[in-house]
Amino acid sequence: MNIRDNPALCDKLAAEYVLGTLKGGARRRFETLLRDDAALRRVRDEWQARLMPMAEFAPSQAPRAQVWRALERRLGIGRRHAGWQFWRSESLLLWRTLGLGSLALTLLLALMLRSTLVDTPHIDHLAALTDEQARTALVITADSAARRLEVRLLDAAPVAAGRSLQLWAVPKQGNPRSLAVLAGRGAQTLALTRDALGDDVAMLAVSLEPLGGSPKPDGPSGPILYKGSWARVQ
Amino acid sequence: MQWRDIVNTLNVRLHPLRKSAVPDTLATDSEQLSRWLHGVAQGDAGAFRSLYDATSPKLFGYVLRILGKRELAEEALQDGFFAIWHGASSYQRQLAAPMTWMTTIVRNKALDRLRGQVRDADFDGPVFDPDIMQALEDPHATPIDALLASRDARALAVCMAALDGLHRQAVGLAFFHDLSHSEVAQQLAVPIGTVKTWIRRSLERLKTCLSKGERA
Repeated sequence: MNIRDNPALCDKLAAEYVLGTLKGGARRRFETLLRDDAALRRVRDEWQARLMPMAEFAPSQAPRAQVWRALERRLGIGRRHAGWQFWRSESLLLWRTLGLGSLALTLLLALMLRSTLVDTPHIDHLAALTDEQARTALVITADSAARRLEVRLLDAAPVAAGRSLQLWAVPKQGNPRSLAVLAGRGAQTLALTRDALGDDVAMLAVSLEPLGGSPKPDGPSGPILYKGSWARVQ
Repeated sequence: MQWRDIVNTLNVRLHPLRKSAVPDTLATDSEQLSRWLHGVAQGDAGAFRSLYDATSPKLFGYVLRILGKRELAEEALQDGFFAIWHGASSYQRQLAAPMTWMTTIVRNKALDRLRGQVRDADFDGPVFDPDIMQALEDPHATPIDALLASRDARALAVCMAALDGLHRQAVGLAFFHDLSHSEVAQQLAVPIGTVKTWIRRSLERLKTCLSKGERA
């Protein structure tokens, strides 16, 4: 069938081609026609301009830093560093696998956060919560003066629909106390309460729970995924 | 090594983790994106980094919605930017806006990955960002302008808001999940002929509505 003499049909096919509903043999035939028909390509381009902005209706999300690093490697555009400058060429993973749980690196993290977050200079407690492989999944900082607790998810595993992550203060004695049910990604600021996060808290932990949090009043009902010491840094 | 060096290095490394949202003005200034694409065509790695920083959160959010799995979406994003680097010299500004051009490339890479996957029968989660869905349902209650930065996306949202809710859903399912008419029909539990009509009419109405916007 010659569609060139039928502008309405050209338009309809181009629209469904861009939307994706033109499938199979019809799609392949349309692609063949596109190859040597500049006018048809223009019609297709117009539909792309109309429909592609729909992509922006999905919520933005930053990809992990490793995507850029992989791209740099693949394209050979990364900066080259001398071999001994391992901290320049290696990923953040190196620092994580060195064990951010150790006090020295926890303090380094504190320094780093304090110099990064110019507007929150009074961080006095922090924890880096790690998984079983000692990978840091969350960083939690507290500003007691402003009574703020900030939770950042770094590489926490995605949570299945219908489940929630719940953050707990684990005291030296007694039951864990819930601090928050966490949002799925990014950073989250919570009000810091003395009751929940007093001097008796030695550790913070994150458990996997049913949507909305643990049904048990006295602690987690699901497995503990991440945990770390709650350290005073000032 | 100096402490200061380590801290500085780590600050640079941690930068992308600091805030997931990129200022929207960056991602939507077509002029700026075109300039960077021009730089990329000359092999300018710095321009490529700027382009990536400005557009990757939007494009990644989109491929994540298509593919559902983070690792897969990251691979598709990487494929897409790899193709953008190599294809930048063939980009023609008079034919397409930079974001349209890049979205098309990244979409195709994501769909390649999707076709390589065993299809999940159900599509959990909403097709659109819930906030944007709300704005499309009731444009008076939630200003679309506040949610969508690019002019093209705002214009499309206004026109999509004028569609019947189910018709909009049919268009969205097809676009975001690469569904056929019959798969959309299955998802919405309506006859395939109905879906074909809905989609055809929706596309016609969008075209008319968007051309009115251009003249305004």
